[in-house]
Amino acid sequence: MNIKDEVVAVLDEVLSLKGRASTFSPETPLLGAIPELDSMAVVALITSLEERFGFVVDDDEIDGTVFASLGALLDFVHGKLGV
Amino acid sequence: MRHEAFFLPSTVGQRLVLLYSPEPAEKLRGAVVYVHPFGEELNKSRRMAALQARAMASAGYMVLQIDLLGCGDSSGDFGDATWEAWLADVKLASAWLQERTTAALWLWGLRSGCLLVNEAAHRMQGPVNLLFWQPVVSGKQFLQQFLRLKVASEMLASDGKGVMERLRGQLRQGEAIEIAGYLLAPALAQGLEQADLLLPHRSGRVEWIEISGRADASLSLAATARLTQWQAAGQEARGTAVSGPAFWQTTEISECPALLEASLRALSEEVPA
Repeated sequence: MNIKDEVVAVLDEVLSLKGRASTFSPETPLLGAIPELDSMAVVALITSLEERFGFVVDDDEIDGTVFASLGALLDFVHGKLGV
Repeated sequence: MRHEAFFLPSTVGQRLVLLYSPEPAEKLRGAVVYVHPFGEELNKSRRMAALQARAMASAGYMVLQIDLLGCGDSSGDFGDATWEAWLADVKLASAWLQERTTAALWLWGLRSGCLLVNEAAHRMQGPVNLLFWQPVVSGKQFLQQFLRLKVASEMLASDGKGVMERLRGQLRQGEAIEIAGYLLAPALAQGLEQADLLLPHRSGRVEWIEISGRADASLSLAATARLTQWQAAGQEARGTAVSGPAFWQTTEISECPALLEASLRALSEEVPA
């Protein structure tokens, strides 16, 4: 499983980005930069990642830094998967 | 196919229902009650629910969609809603259909609606079939996800730390909390938290359909585990996975045609022995 591709696919689906997410690099800012990423979308994103990867996110693990950029989100997912 | 909207009188106010019926000359193949999810999931999923109800009616099923207490155009505010009141609404809708037809009854739920129809089926006297769309299996987990909306919105403003704890404290003290524009009453939170998708002992057939973003869609581990357990207990149950968007939560209203087809098949085809 390619984690970056999976995360990008989840982002694209949840935010209805119509393929735009595939052009994202790790430096691409997310929170505050993508208008679609509101509180609903943040929750949908966390839930989808949990379901897709089978990990559980504790609420004290979530803060703005996790969604600052694609790279930060990938680091978070890698950390959760222990890889 | 015909459809009409009207109000059903209830003990507390009235409920808006949408009735989709086949042409009168057609033989009725089944009677279906649809129970929606709540919060924004209700709004996002209206289109798919309507498309499915039309498709079912065209295929010979009578479908009743009910707006639960405090939702859509029914009486009350969301803050008035309780789990018990919603269960009573499911019963009301089922009874209305059963007064009009003896065709096999199906309760069809989406997300948290599955928890409701499952519990409602458990309380019914006669046999009832269940159609689950992406069921929430744990009300507790679902409540947590709903509370996260508040955490997320505060996170956008500041850092969101400690918000979850504060919300749970307020609910424990019997205070309603406001989340994403919905006033969540402690009685609803409590009912939801205790709801679990357990095998109802009066169900006829259970059709469990999940929607996956992957092209090679497969059932989640949670679904497989529960279905295996139910089948081992002698329950006629089938799980199906289809590919498509998570239409109940996508930013834009989206459709999942594969789900419409799979649901019609699920209703009409017996589970092979």
